[in-house]
Amino acid sequence: MTKTKKFAFGAVCLLAGSGLVLSWAQEPDELEVNHADCVLFSTKGRELSESGLNAESRRRFRLSQLTEEVLAASATKNLKREVIPGGSRTNIFQELDKMGTIDSHLFRAMQDAGATPSAKTDDYTFARRVSLDLTGRVPTYERLVQFINNPSPDKRARYIDELLETQPWVDKWAMFFGDLYKNVANNTQVNKYNEGRNAFHFYIRDSLAVNKPYHVMVSEMISAAGDHNWERGELNWMVNGQTTGGPVQDHYDQRAAFAAEMFLGNAHFNCILCHDGRRRMDPLSLWGKSETRLESWQMAAFFGRSTAQRVAVSQTPNLGYYRIVNNNNADYPLNTTTGNRSPRQPIGNIRNVAPEYPFADGGRPNPGEPYRVALARFLTNDFQFARATVNYFWKAFFGRGLVDPVNQFDPDRLDPDNPPPEPWTLQASHPRLLNELARDFINSGYDLKALMRQITNSEGYQLSSAYDGQWKAEWQNLYARKMVRRLWAEEIFDAIVQTSNVRNSFTVPGMDPLSWTMQAPDSRTPGGNLGSFLDSFLRGNRVDTERRTDGSVPQVLNLMNDTLVHTRTRASGAGNTASLARQLLNKYTAANNEALVEEAFLTVLSRPVTADEKRPALEKLNAATATATATRQQRVEDLVWVLFNKVDFIYVL
Amino acid sequence: MKGQEKFDRFIQKHPHSHRFFFERPHVTRRDFFRWAGAGLTGSVLAGPLRAGEASKPLATPINKAKNTIFLLLSGAISHIDTFDFKRTQDTPLDVMKPETFSGIEFPAGIMPRLAENVPDMAIIRSARSWALQHNLAQTWTQIGRSPASALGEVAPNTGSVVALEYLSRRKPTDTFPTFLALNSGNAIGSGYLPSTHEPFRINPEANGLPDTNNADGQTRFNDKYAWLKQIDAHRTSSPNSPDLVDYDKFYNNARGLMFNPVVDQAFRFTTQESQRYGATGFGNACLTAGKVLAADQGTRYIQITLGGWDHHQNIYTALPPLARTLDNGLSALIADLKSSGQFNQTMIVMMGEFGRTVGRITGQQGRDHFLQQFILFAGAGIRGGRALGATDETGARSATMAWSRDRDVRPEDVEATIYSAMGIDWTTIRYDDPFGRGFEYVPYAREDVYGPIHELWS
Repeated sequence: MTKTKKFAFGAVCLLAGSGLVLSWAQEPDELEVNHADCVLFSTKGRELSESGLNAESRRRFRLSQLTEEVLAASATKNLKREVIPGGSRTNIFQELDKMGTIDSHLFRAMQDAGATPSAKTDDYTFARRVSLDLTGRVPTYERLVQFINNPSPDKRARYIDELLETQPWVDKWAMFFGDLYKNVANNTQVNKYNEGRNAFHFYIRDSLAVNKPYHVMVSEMISAAGDHNWERGELNWMVNGQTTGGPVQDHYDQRAAFAAEMFLGNAHFNCILCHDGRRRMDPLSLWGKSETRLESWQMAAFFGRSTAQRVAVSQTPNLGYYRIVNNNNADYPLNTTTGNRSPRQPIGNIRNVAPEYPFADGGRPNPGEPYRVALARFLTNDFQFARATVNYFWKAFFGRGLVDPVNQFDPDRLDPDNPPPEPWTLQASHPRLLNELARDFINSGYDLKALMRQITNSEGYQLSSAYDGQWKAEWQNLYARKMVRRLWAEEIFDAIVQTSNVRNSFTVPGMDPLSWTMQAPDSRTPGGNLGSFLDSFLRGNRVDTERRTDGSVPQVLNLMNDTLVHTRTRASGAGNTASLARQLLNKYTAANNEALVEEAFLTVLSRPVTADEKRPALEKLNAATATATATRQQRVEDLVWVLFNKVDFIYVL
Repeated sequence: MKGQEKFDRFIQKHPHSHRFFFERPHVTRRDFFRWAGAGLTGSVLAGPLRAGEASKPLATPINKAKNTIFLLLSGAISHIDTFDFKRTQDTPLDVMKPETFSGIEFPAGIMPRLAENVPDMAIIRSARSWALQHNLAQTWTQIGRSPASALGEVAPNTGSVVALEYLSRRKPTDTFPTFLALNSGNAIGSGYLPSTHEPFRINPEANGLPDTNNADGQTRFNDKYAWLKQIDAHRTSSPNSPDLVDYDKFYNNARGLMFNPVVDQAFRFTTQESQRYGATGFGNACLTAGKVLAADQGTRYIQITLGGWDHHQNIYTALPPLARTLDNGLSALIADLKSSGQFNQTMIVMMGEFGRTVGRITGQQGRDHFLQQFILFAGAGIRGGRALGATDETGARSATMAWSRDRDVRPEDVEATIYSAMGIDWTTIRYDDPFGRGFEYVPYAREDVYGPIHELWS
């Protein structure tokens, strides 16, 4: 790399809205990128630079740091942990041959690195963790007690099976896929209106409810054609790729970029649609640095014989729906000078680009075959499709992907039997595990529930986040202990609703009233006060802001003072006749304050109260009489408030 | 323009500081991969900011401002229709009604109140953006460096650096956040700095800061808050973990804002007050900014965003009402800052992320993105009533330069100016960044490539 003009990526992504260019440091054959929101420089752009040679620098051990601190703050290290049969953890290394895909790889890698895994997590922590991870909900008090008291050795596996069949499982993963597919009613490029967004949301829900094989679902979305995007939800994936202010090739490119990112985990593909990888992708992606724009067009060309036609329904209100129509237009023409991407001009005597799948074994459409049907076939048969998908889910359950960031796969750095040349390294922390997990997924028929079952039943998933002994931060990427995660905004609010037993109801246009925020069709509804609460926990907007877990003062003010939370701590008032506080007061007399406190902790935090927590609670409750400054009712309400504000309420341990 | 040529040559040789990690002199490429391969890099564990981790001071800040208000006119305001006014063939003079104030031609027709404030304004007209894309340029403006540079993605908002520097100056009685972002939901955050220095984002409402009162009243609240702290007090202060230490601080800071008549006084407003500022969201933000600074409760940097300036279409119907909104809000803010005595200690900086095309309007009756822009400074002892630098006849390029460096002013220079005005050494380099390569407050400041515009005060 020469010293003078090399750029990490972009920095030369200029706009020529009026044909002007920047005055500095330009090479003669530098491409100008035309106006509109080049994805590289949005807030997502930050992430795109983290994958290459300088990967793992900033966020390297952040999960490990967070885990240590959350545990320290939550006092759960004083929690008495049951002894798990099986003895010391080093025994586990003798069991490697008997273990499944995940565990054999994880524990072998730990053994090779000299890392000791943490103990298996206790039943309380497990129940809360797996319930939140699979369904976005905490276990009810009754179910938790039942689980704890169940003596059967396979109760964890049975609990997992049970959770996979619940309605909240559908809710949570519909939200997950809604995020992944960027389902919103409108953005700067296209307006699907509430109707289109809802239809897409219902399509996702319906697919999940029948556990549709994932390759079938993705094929449907890629190849869907016809009327009418308010009625056939799968059409909306194509509608989402519509762009404005440019030629039709911009639509084709956007759809190709979405397909590459969402289904192949490759967001760098988007870069190649504007310019060759050479001199730009060099530090970022071994695959990318030799990719050409022509190859990206070969993928985009699969979208070149379809259009999204808007059919106006009314002017006021402004409404319209979309139909996706296949046609026989000439293949991807190289004839643009304006729009959202840099000019597309003939290369030699190539004036049109025919579709050819640029990954795996390649492939061209059969004669007469609709292009997108062919693409669906090639893409879902691509091993990378399985790999990217399992990796997205690995991150959902473990906090970081085996390849991380999860949308920055480098196709040339994934094969442990064919490692990349120095100084490049294999990209995955566990390359063989990732590939085997992908193979398992394919063999299961791309069964999402089977994948989740496999993950949550593994020993690796069930490790404790607490660690006895000397922890080393760099063991984070060996998964030698479970990492904590902060709950999603929706999980936090729904946990408050569920544990307080004070119902919620909100409306979204075009849908029946909803009770759970996890059921919202996108992360920009509902609005109002409830929306502000969720926004303060950074649920993202599916357009340019991802979900984040940063803390803030507004979050704290919400948890401490917002009426949505406050009313749910009450033992009296309209809607509170069966609230948690009221039930506790009804169930336990003052002579049984200890049992009251225990049940409160089990209900809200899904764990037993520690001695240090019990003492002040009992002091206050026992001192509360009808004539004291605080009544017993008030103390119980305060206890519920305290529990909602504890750090381990908003974190999964 | 010798200064310009010299600068251009430097920048060609050293493009914006996105030079790859292993080309920094103190770390060789070989070192990097040796470390990466070993899986260990000592400085990678981003600890809290320890004393002695910044470079030795090199420059003397001019130290004129106690506070800064940064107004981002997002969408990119047309410079030639506002603060670098030009008469074009399409300019509706009957709407613009340009008049000359202190030698500056100003569209009093669309900004009549601000026309009276021209004596307060120092308008830099020889200013130029680096890029023409909204997100990129808006970010560039807020972090004072290329977002695509190696540290660009972790670079904090200028306000977050101010918050960090001012941390030690906070009084125990200070309850307001140092960095306040009003109507700025998309403001860049604290980057790699601890999230304590995140902008505190609110969209001002008449009822004041939301959720700062607990329905149980103060006595009972204090009681349960103490209870919470008692059982969540097992936090051990881990040097390796900024996240949760911040979490505790969030609770403390939130508590400080509660039951606080000073907070209510600063953040609540009446209809009359709002009307004085034009009864708009922007006006309310300006009103709140003035009151917050007058309350003197620790806020030192306020960012306000006024969007909607992306006038690709119908600029001469769309721009005037928006200019009125700006006019009403900013003029009232200046007036109130003056009457509360804050004006001489508060520096106002106002800019868009770039300018707009000059000459004829487009086929859509608008103006498109353009690099030339203006930057407005006022307050904090800045000598107003003048333009620094000038553009050519059409406003396309700088004809005379604003300052002794004899080149266009860039966002990096604006950042340096803010730091210098706030008493911060803009040449500081912190060695606590996660890449371990040194975070410069202003890129190339040590090489004196960028620097503050002290001419504003002379």
